[in-house]
Amino acid sequence: MDTEQTHPLQVPRAVQQQVTLNAGQAEAFAATFERLAAAVDTVVLGKPEVVRLALTAMFAEGHILLEDVPGTGKTTLARAIASAVSGQWRRIQFTPDLLPSDVSGVTIFNQASGGFEFHPGPVFANIVIADEINRASPKTQSALLEVMEEGRVTVDGHPHPVPSPFIVVATQNPVEMDGTYRLPEAQLDRFLVKLSVGYPVEAAEIEVLRGTHQRSPENIPAVVDTDTVAQMAELAKYVYIAEPLYAYLVQLANATRTHPQVAVGVSPRGLIALTRAAAVFALSQGRTYIIPEDVKALAEPVFSHRIQLAPDAAMRGATGAGVVAEVFESVPVPLPASAA
Amino acid sequence: MRLSRYRFRVAAVAVCLTALCVLAGVVAARVYHGVILTGLVAGAAVAAFAVGFLLRNKPSWLSAVVSFWGLAAYLLGSFALTGDGTEPLPQVVVDAIVNAVPRTLTALIPVEPAPDTVGVPVFLTWLAAGLACELAIRYGRTLLGCLPPTLLYAAGLYLVGPNAGPAVAATVAYCVVAGAALAVTSAPPSRRPDRDAQVDGGVPKRSATLIGSVVGATVLLVAVAVLAPMATRLVTTSPGDPRELVEPPQLTDIDLNPLVRIGEWAKYPEQELFLAELDGDATMRLAVLTEYDGVTWQAGGDFRTAGSVLPGSGEGGFSAEVEIIELGGKLVPAVADPATVTDMQVAVNLDTRCLLTPDGLATGDRYTVGSDPLTVDPAGAENARVDLSDQVSVAIPPGTPEIMTMIAEYITTTYDTPHARAQGLADFLSQHYAFDAEAPSGHDYPSLEFFLEASVEAGGQRGTSEQFAAAYAVLARLVGLPTRVVVGFDVPGGASTVTAAQGRAWPEVAFEGVGWVPFDPMPAAGVAPVPPQETLEQLEEEPTEEPEESQGAGEAEDYNDPALENEDGDFDTEAAVADEGIPAWVWWVLGAIALACVPPALKVRRRLRRRRRLQRGTPAERVAGAWAEVLGAAARAGVKVGPHATAEEAAAQVSTLEAGIDGLPGLVNQAAFAPGSVDGADAEAAGRIATGFERLTRTRVRRWRRFLT
Repeated sequence: MDTEQTHPLQVPRAVQQQVTLNAGQAEAFAATFERLAAAVDTVVLGKPEVVRLALTAMFAEGHILLEDVPGTGKTTLARAIASAVSGQWRRIQFTPDLLPSDVSGVTIFNQASGGFEFHPGPVFANIVIADEINRASPKTQSALLEVMEEGRVTVDGHPHPVPSPFIVVATQNPVEMDGTYRLPEAQLDRFLVKLSVGYPVEAAEIEVLRGTHQRSPENIPAVVDTDTVAQMAELAKYVYIAEPLYAYLVQLANATRTHPQVAVGVSPRGLIALTRAAAVFALSQGRTYIIPEDVKALAEPVFSHRIQLAPDAAMRGATGAGVVAEVFESVPVPLPASAA
Repeated sequence: MRLSRYRFRVAAVAVCLTALCVLAGVVAARVYHGVILTGLVAGAAVAAFAVGFLLRNKPSWLSAVVSFWGLAAYLLGSFALTGDGTEPLPQVVVDAIVNAVPRTLTALIPVEPAPDTVGVPVFLTWLAAGLACELAIRYGRTLLGCLPPTLLYAAGLYLVGPNAGPAVAATVAYCVVAGAALAVTSAPPSRRPDRDAQVDGGVPKRSATLIGSVVGATVLLVAVAVLAPMATRLVTTSPGDPRELVEPPQLTDIDLNPLVRIGEWAKYPEQELFLAELDGDATMRLAVLTEYDGVTWQAGGDFRTAGSVLPGSGEGGFSAEVEIIELGGKLVPAVADPATVTDMQVAVNLDTRCLLTPDGLATGDRYTVGSDPLTVDPAGAENARVDLSDQVSVAIPPGTPEIMTMIAEYITTTYDTPHARAQGLADFLSQHYAFDAEAPSGHDYPSLEFFLEASVEAGGQRGTSEQFAAAYAVLARLVGLPTRVVVGFDVPGGASTVTAAQGRAWPEVAFEGVGWVPFDPMPAAGVAPVPPQETLEQLEEEPTEEPEESQGAGEAEDYNDPALENEDGDFDTEAAVADEGIPAWVWWVLGAIALACVPPALKVRRRLRRRRRLQRGTPAERVAGAWAEVLGAAARAGVKVGPHATAEEAAAQVSTLEAGIDGLPGLVNQAAFAPGSVDGADAEAAGRIATGFERLTRTRVRRWRRFLT
């Protein structure tokens, strides 16, 4: 991937000053995004929307939580994304006996040098696949809190930055609850999106059966490198957001906070996450500005896992996605007015 | 900017709706005495609206609870303000709550503001204002918010009924204020996407819209002004009075027919009935009897509970203080016409304006009556026609004794004018019959026949004022004069004790433009009566002229014949003036023209708006205008896009009309969220899409909407 200053995806200094993007940059972004998505689509069949949402989260520098029943392709999707990006990626299989130091790294006394040396853990990679994250104890899960938010690991009082970009793609099984630990709210809030892969449609499932042996995430050629990902993420920061949309976004968040079925609504971090994701989504469509459709497309995966339902509402079967849908029915879209 | 305009609109609507509730209360308060109720209902409206307005952002249940307690406190205050302080407040409250509705409906006009008569108006006003605030301010439904005040206004008019003049000014004011509330509207900006938002940071110009609205309103006003006179002519009945649905106080026999007391009073003239202190000499009426069934004279009409101020009365400058001694029954003696009664709860007969106290008179009862003494112009009555508006006053039951027919014939033949006949009849009775305090009581046909015809030796031809008045009234009706019998007392000015000797009955005859004129058929003291047979026999001996020959000059005219109205200058002919105005068909034509102008005016307004939307303003505004046109056309075709739909979602909904708007949602999003990204060509393309869409969907619009839009 060309990462020279003249590359269309590079944000020139002049553009940064003007804080506007041109159509060419948006089209280049969209083309790269589409190539990456097409590469992942070769392994994850019949789920183009999920793939694009996951890639959107990646370019928004957000972490991805894939939640679904076993065997639907969560890990495959995570590995496919990691393979399509030619950066360093690691996989951590979360187990009940996993320790925090197994994730973040450990300081060991080196007899030869006579000093302590830090041995980085598997989180020191561009893409970290946290498989079955809810099987580890809360203590181990908490080892990811700092690195997911701040991009560094503090061991024995010494901070150790992780490479950039840094993306955690975690998977968890919502059905099998024995021996699992529910992710704390703080941890959930750090995931930009929570996606459900779901069962494939019949035609896609037949296609899966036909090419079981040929398709493997490892076979996907790297489409972009980590530098390109970082540049694309930087580009997304300059997508134009009209003033009415800011108000629209805040009204949406407020509506989740005042919804009668909700105990804890969407945090400001969640609102920022939705804005970032909508910007990437707009660029992936070749646009340099966000429209309400972008917000609506991303609100459910960004908001639903951040909404803590009231106990009685949860008992009645309410869901975060249902609340988000109701919220969108209560907040009007800021469409333009005519002169009369 | 957008939010502040919304707040301004909400505040304006709140003020308008509060004014509507106040107006509704004021309309109802027209039948109340004084301005206390007006103040109370106005305060209730303001307070209820204030509670709802201040709590508009809080949960509804909280607003309801606070409003409930506010209402309770306000009612308590109202009861304390209007109560007379003679009873403890809890008892007043319970009594007012239990009896509020029946007493409000039975109280006569003007209603005295009392705890049991102010509760209902205050409660309904508070309820209407609270509901209006909830609907209009909390939920932004201005039209629905106008419903409670409108119902309250209708309830006020119903409560007033025919007891006050037309509320033209209040109704016009109500319509104007309601129109203002609807024009301003409290709908939140989200429901007014084509009205209340900004385009490119600027506020759309409204001058053209305002001009269009003013033109449309003017057309409607002209239509109303033309049609209103015709509509009012179609209304020929008075509004119903809810008080007629209420059971009136029941009378006992002695009160139904107090004429029977005359005989007792004549027999025991020294009986002290009551003490009276009058401003001057006057006649105090006890009862007015209008209906005769051949057996008894009875009072017509129903008695209705009244406050201290009686309905339809004047100042009541003539004062009479009364203390009851031995006078019994429920009927209350008073100088006609009573205007105010203090210190006694009374009911009044709206037909005769006689008074009644439901609890009955008891020794020691004191009260003061302020009256407007009736003044009758005898000279005016001499040339006046009789007033036949009330057929009851000329009704004669069958079985009239022959002697009465003979006397009536004699009077008719002897006298020409109604007044002459009335006076002649009084003279006939006074000259031919004698007063006898010992005469037996009775005024049915046999008794009157005995009184008029029986020989002196047999005890006939003499009686009390009971027989004289009753015989006069029946005989006068046979002559064609409307009569009634009044029972009352002659009371001198100053303080005096009224005894039974002062009690009497007398007849009255109604003359048009003059009123009820009393006549005295009683014989003068010391004059020997002439046997009536002598006079009547003279009549039989006189030759009777043939009817054909009796039409010459000087013969008696039928003064009840309306055909003579235009010929005889003696009578009041002001009512005979023909209605010479603009012919009715002119009003109909003008109304039809005005109505016919409404659809073209609406169409012109819509075309102007479309042109303004599609051709004026920046490209972004024109694209937005095209979008508004598309949404409007879709709504008229039956697909209403909600405010929560994005442009693409709206396009998907609109696509069910099978008229594509491909490309327009993208342009709309560009215009709205990417400033400067649309140009003139885009705006023209959007305009073409909107025009084409409207053309394609026009066939799906209902005919009446197509006709009007």
